[in-house]
Amino acid sequence: MVMLRLKNLVTASALLAATVVNAQYNCGDYHKFNCERSTDARFSLNGQSKSASVQVGRPTELNIIVYGGQDYRISFCYDEKIIGDHVVARLVEKVRVPREQDVDVVEKEELRDANGQPTGQFKDVKRTVRKTVFDDERKVLWDNTEHELAQEVEFSAATTKRLVVEVMAPGAAEQKGRAKGLDIGCVGILIEHMPTPNLGF
Amino acid sequence: MFTRTFPVTLLAAALCACGGPGDEQRTGPEKLVIGDSSAAAPAPASLYQMPTPNELFAIVRQMAGEGQKRMMNPTTSADRYATLGGRAFNFGVYCTDLIYASYFDLNVEVVRYYLTVKKLGDQLGLSAAFSEQDFVRLERNLSKGDSLEIISNEAYYKAYEKLQEEEMGPTLALVLAGGWVESLHLVMKQVDAFDPADPLVKRVAEQKFSLEHLIEMMDAYSTDPNVAPIRERMIALRDIYDRLQVQRTTHPGKSSSGRMVLGDDLNVQLTAERYAELQIAVEALRSDLVSPEGTVSAQPNL
Repeated sequence: MVMLRLKNLVTASALLAATVVNAQYNCGDYHKFNCERSTDARFSLNGQSKSASVQVGRPTELNIIVYGGQDYRISFCYDEKIIGDHVVARLVEKVRVPREQDVDVVEKEELRDANGQPTGQFKDVKRTVRKTVFDDERKVLWDNTEHELAQEVEFSAATTKRLVVEVMAPGAAEQKGRAKGLDIGCVGILIEHMPTPNLGF
Repeated sequence: MFTRTFPVTLLAAALCACGGPGDEQRTGPEKLVIGDSSAAAPAPASLYQMPTPNELFAIVRQMAGEGQKRMMNPTTSADRYATLGGRAFNFGVYCTDLIYASYFDLNVEVVRYYLTVKKLGDQLGLSAAFSEQDFVRLERNLSKGDSLEIISNEAYYKAYEKLQEEEMGPTLALVLAGGWVESLHLVMKQVDAFDPADPLVKRVAEQKFSLEHLIEMMDAYSTDPNVAPIRERMIALRDIYDRLQVQRTTHPGKSSSGRMVLGDDLNVQLTAERYAELQIAVEALRSDLVSPEGTVSAQPNL
């Protein structure tokens, strides 16, 4: 009888442990159930919201598009036992910038005989041409370390932009219970949007 | 997805509530150093999301006239996509048409396109995204435009999530490419004549950024035989956008809502010549890829 109870207890513990591990790593819908929606009912859930497993100390970035003429609210939620009591976050604009670059190209040039007639033989000729190449540049637009580690931000997008939401988890100062030893937890990035309203008269 | 995940999340939340975060002192805020050349931090994990087509249509609906069903890909072609690439790309096209129909009150088309999307979705292994209950709900709400928008968008989003969950990256890349091409095709068809000040033309110009974003997202699958040829053609479209000047100006003050304006104003200066070039390229790409497979000389998705 005692053995049977013990066996049940072990099975239940194993199931619970498996569920916890699953909860830690299967973060797919985390933002839907853990991030608080705006109290402003005009905000709609944006389909670019995302949850992910985040490793403490390792930066994670979510690349999104914000459309001009829309107001956005971006908020963060996380498993505090592992991630800590906040995330460090930045909003960074990604811009494709043209740059002129000298590039060496090798071309085939036909050899000519003494009379200037083509010989059918070719030689490699190296020359430098100026080409436009594009680099992705990043420009930090908002950094929560300059805003008392705010865990949400509201803004207007006057024009369409490529935006990177960067987050990094500092880790819990002291891990307790089942979270002990774990360094991967769920972080949800909830994005809400609405057409920029006109206020005033 | 809700029933599968919710109890686990709830349990995790309950477990996490035991103890709670300590009130330990912190030494000060950490700094994020992504993109900093002096960074010693490990490489960041990068995730990409694309806006759902409804976001764009919600914006352009106010600027555009009536929806035009003849601009959508005929549902009769749906049975003629035999390859994975063709099905995935056109799944994106039909999903966008479905959402367009719901936003522009083409109610009969909503049902037709829903069934088409469901059929192609089944072929792509996305049956779970289209339940019988959803279709019944759709039929019941045919007279309610708002509900059709919600139901159509939910169907798209469920399929999108399913593709992400199942890690069907190349298929998702093709679906998103189809959606992007069809969105731009539909928006450009609403433009009567080129005028750089026309809000619709400005939206076409701003699609430069979503195209750059999409191509970057597709880069991870650049060697996939289905993705590679489509990606190359999307890059050819980006080359047209690359020739446009982008003017950057500081936004004066806050927005009309009183919120801070994030970053500078970007004005993509689309000219009549480039607009025409873009339109020709988009239509040629779309025409090749929505043509029923077997009826065109070049097969892009073999």
